[in-house]
Amino acid sequence: MRPFPGIEPPAVDHPVMEADVVIVGAGPAGLACALRLTQLIAAAGAASPLQPDQIVVLEKGREIGAHLLSGAVLDPRALRELLPDFPADAPLEVPVVDEAAFLFTERRAWKFPFTPAPLRNHGNYVVSLNRLMRWLGAKVEAAGVTVFTSVAGTALLMEGEQVQGVRTDDKGVDREGKAQSNFEPGYDLKSKMVVLAEGPRGSLTKQLSLGLGLAGENSQVYALGVKEIWEVPEGRFPAGRVYHTMGWPLPLTMYGGGWIYGLSARQVSLGLVTGLEYHDPRTDPHHLFQQFKTHPFVREVLTGGEMLRYGAKTIPMGGWFAMPPASGAGWLMVGDAGGFLNSQRLKGIHLAMKSGMLAAETIFAALQAGQPARPADYTQRIAASWIRAEMWKVRNFHQGFAGGLIPGLLHGALQQLSGGRGLWTRYGAEEGHARLVQLAHLGPGPKYPKPDGQLSFDKVADVYHSGTRHVEDQPSHLHVADLDICQDRCRREYGNPCQHFCPAQVYEMVEGEDGRPRLQVNASNCVHCKTCDIMDPYGIITWVPPEGGGGPNYDGM
Amino acid sequence: MKILVCLKQVPAKDAPIKVAAGEMWIREDVTYEVNEPDAYALEEALRQKEAHGGEVVALTVGPARAAQVLREALAKGADRAVHVEGEAAAQLDCFATAEAIARAIPGEHFDLIFTGLQSDDYGFAQVGVVLAELLGLPHATIIMHLEPTATGIRVKRELEGGYFQNVDLPTPAVLTIQSGISKLRYATLMGIKAAKSKPLTRHSLEEMGVTPRLNRQTITRLYVPARSKKTEMLTGTAKEVAAQLVEHLKNDARVL
Amino acid sequence: MAQPILVVIEHGARGINPASWEVITAGQALGEALGLPVEAVVLEGVEADTVCSQVATRQLAGVRHAVHSGLVPYTPETQVQALVQVITAAAPVYVLFPHTYQARDYVPQLATRMARGLISDATGFRVESGRVVLTRQMFQGKLAADVVFAGETPHFVSFQIGAFRGDKAVLTTAPAPIEKVSVAPSPPLLQPGEPFQEAKQAVDLSKADLIVSVGRGIKEPKNLDLVRELAQVLGAELAASRPICDSGWLPMDRQIGSSGQTVSPKLYLAVGISGAIQHLVGMKGARTIVAINKDPEAPIFEVADYGVVGNLFEVVPALIEEIKKRKG
Repeated sequence: MRPFPGIEPPAVDHPVMEADVVIVGAGPAGLACALRLTQLIAAAGAASPLQPDQIVVLEKGREIGAHLLSGAVLDPRALRELLPDFPADAPLEVPVVDEAAFLFTERRAWKFPFTPAPLRNHGNYVVSLNRLMRWLGAKVEAAGVTVFTSVAGTALLMEGEQVQGVRTDDKGVDREGKAQSNFEPGYDLKSKMVVLAEGPRGSLTKQLSLGLGLAGENSQVYALGVKEIWEVPEGRFPAGRVYHTMGWPLPLTMYGGGWIYGLSARQVSLGLVTGLEYHDPRTDPHHLFQQFKTHPFVREVLTGGEMLRYGAKTIPMGGWFAMPPASGAGWLMVGDAGGFLNSQRLKGIHLAMKSGMLAAETIFAALQAGQPARPADYTQRIAASWIRAEMWKVRNFHQGFAGGLIPGLLHGALQQLSGGRGLWTRYGAEEGHARLVQLAHLGPGPKYPKPDGQLSFDKVADVYHSGTRHVEDQPSHLHVADLDICQDRCRREYGNPCQHFCPAQVYEMVEGEDGRPRLQVNASNCVHCKTCDIMDPYGIITWVPPEGGGGPNYDGM
Repeated sequence: MKILVCLKQVPAKDAPIKVAAGEMWIREDVTYEVNEPDAYALEEALRQKEAHGGEVVALTVGPARAAQVLREALAKGADRAVHVEGEAAAQLDCFATAEAIARAIPGEHFDLIFTGLQSDDYGFAQVGVVLAELLGLPHATIIMHLEPTATGIRVKRELEGGYFQNVDLPTPAVLTIQSGISKLRYATLMGIKAAKSKPLTRHSLEEMGVTPRLNRQTITRLYVPARSKKTEMLTGTAKEVAAQLVEHLKNDARVL
Repeated sequence: MAQPILVVIEHGARGINPASWEVITAGQALGEALGLPVEAVVLEGVEADTVCSQVATRQLAGVRHAVHSGLVPYTPETQVQALVQVITAAAPVYVLFPHTYQARDYVPQLATRMARGLISDATGFRVESGRVVLTRQMFQGKLAADVVFAGETPHFVSFQIGAFRGDKAVLTTAPAPIEKVSVAPSPPLLQPGEPFQEAKQAVDLSKADLIVSVGRGIKEPKNLDLVRELAQVLGAELAASRPICDSGWLPMDRQIGSSGQTVSPKLYLAVGISGAIQHLVGMKGARTIVAINKDPEAPIFEVADYGVVGNLFEVVPALIEEIKKRKG
């Protein structure tokens, strides 16, 4: 399978390296998979069919955790299974002590008299996913697994329908695609099993899905989470407090909500999740988040504080019915890449880790039997585990919001009473961008207030605080298949929504030299959230990994 | 040629640097990377090894987390690494740091010792030259290019004002390497894997008797520089504004 | 006789390095603050006698001219040996240098040979309770530090170029006495060649004194000619913010900012640049910043010394005119 069209890479021989298991992505799913494998290896002793040095993890970030971002409130269930002694060792210092849910209107905050069951977090922890995975990653490396950081997987090596390995990124290629003096070709990593742990809308996962026609019963739908970490005066927002909000600034027709979590005595994590299935193409999730911060309730938390870091990432919301087949000849999907996320509880880390562990068990059993893993092995393990039990109950949750907040809550209540079924066996869902309405049918667009530079920021200032860095002299990693569409059709029909939905100001329509508008792609700003790949109305944008090592630095996120 | 390369781990260039409580140092919750000038020193050493054979040894003086720069150096092709380790490393001044290096390498006979021009955190630009004096070796600074000769080496030094100079000197010698003189190589997957089995020796700063008490200077306070600027907005027609501006440039800024 | 402050003058084939005047200013200020005499040290070199006479026109207690043929050409070893002898004889409290390439080459060696410390690249000083506190930039100018010496005198300091004003050195009508001092350095191990220049290769903006920088306000590449002319009449280098280089209107080695070069020239003239934080971090250390932008709320104005809210297509031509007039 070739990388997507764009600039042709230098034609070179790729050196070959072999590894029994290649895991693409050092996030919770990938690392849990790697660690579980080492546990199985240790338990099998001399009879083990696998050794830790035959397991390779590829991570496109400069270091483990660099591209990891989440709210987050962790359900420690999977971590407890993986590492029964975890509290002593893990950076889990903040149990949830206090929680509430609010409905925001423009001026007021109405507290729910009770916290809805899915949002109850007693027994859970407020965590920084970045820090947690750095800790877990250190264990994986200490166990003898090789984690290649600053290395991206750019293409799957295929023989027919069988995945035989992963090709890694070339280094030292200039803007025009020419090899520079320090050029290094990517490696062809030949493996028995590739575990796709790339996170939401993974590029190899997309390649594979398109190539093999993989899809769930429903299309996968996503939301975009935009987050900042703030340092605030002590006492303003205690550690372990977990607040969720609905409503303003999101209109009732839109799915989404905000969060504020106390990370420590002086740090809060806050953000806004916007469903990527809105109607108005001028919707701007970044601006909505900046607006969210100006609500009196939030302003009170943040005043006098300082924004430390910014980031954004998409979240797969489709649930059980949107999950594609998760295994095939030579490959398995884990974590967000496979849609393992509970949109009702807004939690995916525990599901990601559990799926990684089950993947490890599948792989190990197959190696022990001396046979290639049957795809059904993995699916059976998932079906028999609490992954299915949990996700089945919420299988129709997100789709219930297709009509807006009120219908969503009503459907949600019905589903609670019927073991997750609700009104129909399967609520359908179409791809998010298909719900965009053309400008001709819409009135005036949303008006977002100008950022004040203290509480609210423009995209460029926020991108600076994401620590995003890329080698400048490299081909653009955002492939737009047809620029004419941008200039004409999209401009007329949708007003070039890429300028609005990208939280990093990668896309801008500027005046070209001939007076006609042209698309300018500031690839260097990209925070790797994948929104553009998901949301462009014509499906012509393809995100591929830039040179490994580039991207945000989500330290503490 | 046996070359020692001294590398320092510093806060990443784009890391938000904040003063820690106590105002004596920065908050350590930042990401770290190798000091950029040192990366060029390493690149030069590896090129010399490729051209003329020999061995490259990477060394750092730093806390435990500084091992990262050694692993990266090994992954790029260094043969061995030495970690002079201690939590107090960040408080050592240039003299004490050079002293630590000098005490870590007795018995090793290096033909060349490279350091970067200066570090991106302190920016003193002294360690290489102090080290040369402590070891009693000749040195040259701001080196752009180097080649072996019958009697030692010939180096190209950068001077101010766009001038350069070739200097002949005997080996062993200490050189401080200018940044940007070459394209830095990438570590390959094979290199990263091979690095795991390359020797990494540890020395303890404390055991060597190197502590901040050896410092010849002390930082008494670290702070965000006060903004002393007041912006003067110039108004009027374009012609008037231009005239005012040129006045300022001539008399106040003194650049005309 | 009170222990003096010594100022070491740097000079060479192209005369006195102007930074030396700055260090005399610093030395005079320090001398006044501490009530100590200030003397200059000139090591043998090309036209050293002329150098000494010029130096002697500044208000100093004396000029020590260290003489030995072995001091030409410069090598770190001979400089160090000669200065060890001069310093041992003078017993100063402070020895001051400009933070030039040459100073970086030998002063750390000198300080170490004398078992003393060097605080290099200082931007200023103050005296607090009888103690001299030097200030330095750290983390590439993001933070500042107060630094003091530990240990005995003499203390060695090198000052950042531009930290003091050479033209503020106090002159005198009665020239300072010039004393010839004999030194005896041994032959050096280094054999330096003649300095030479090379055909201009990649531009190094970090060495430019004057920079004119252009941003998106320029609208089209053909308008760059206007800004090029401005740079030319000023004798400045041309630089740009990232969008200009990203669009290929100027090569990437002209880019200023977090993903380009960091500069601290005497003058940074920003034309049509909004001042996104990614750009500001690359240039806010410039001594004088001028910004021309039509948006009164552009963040560039927060770091500018002089700001013009206006149409650059009117202001820049007027500026070019005026500069041409003044330069004659």
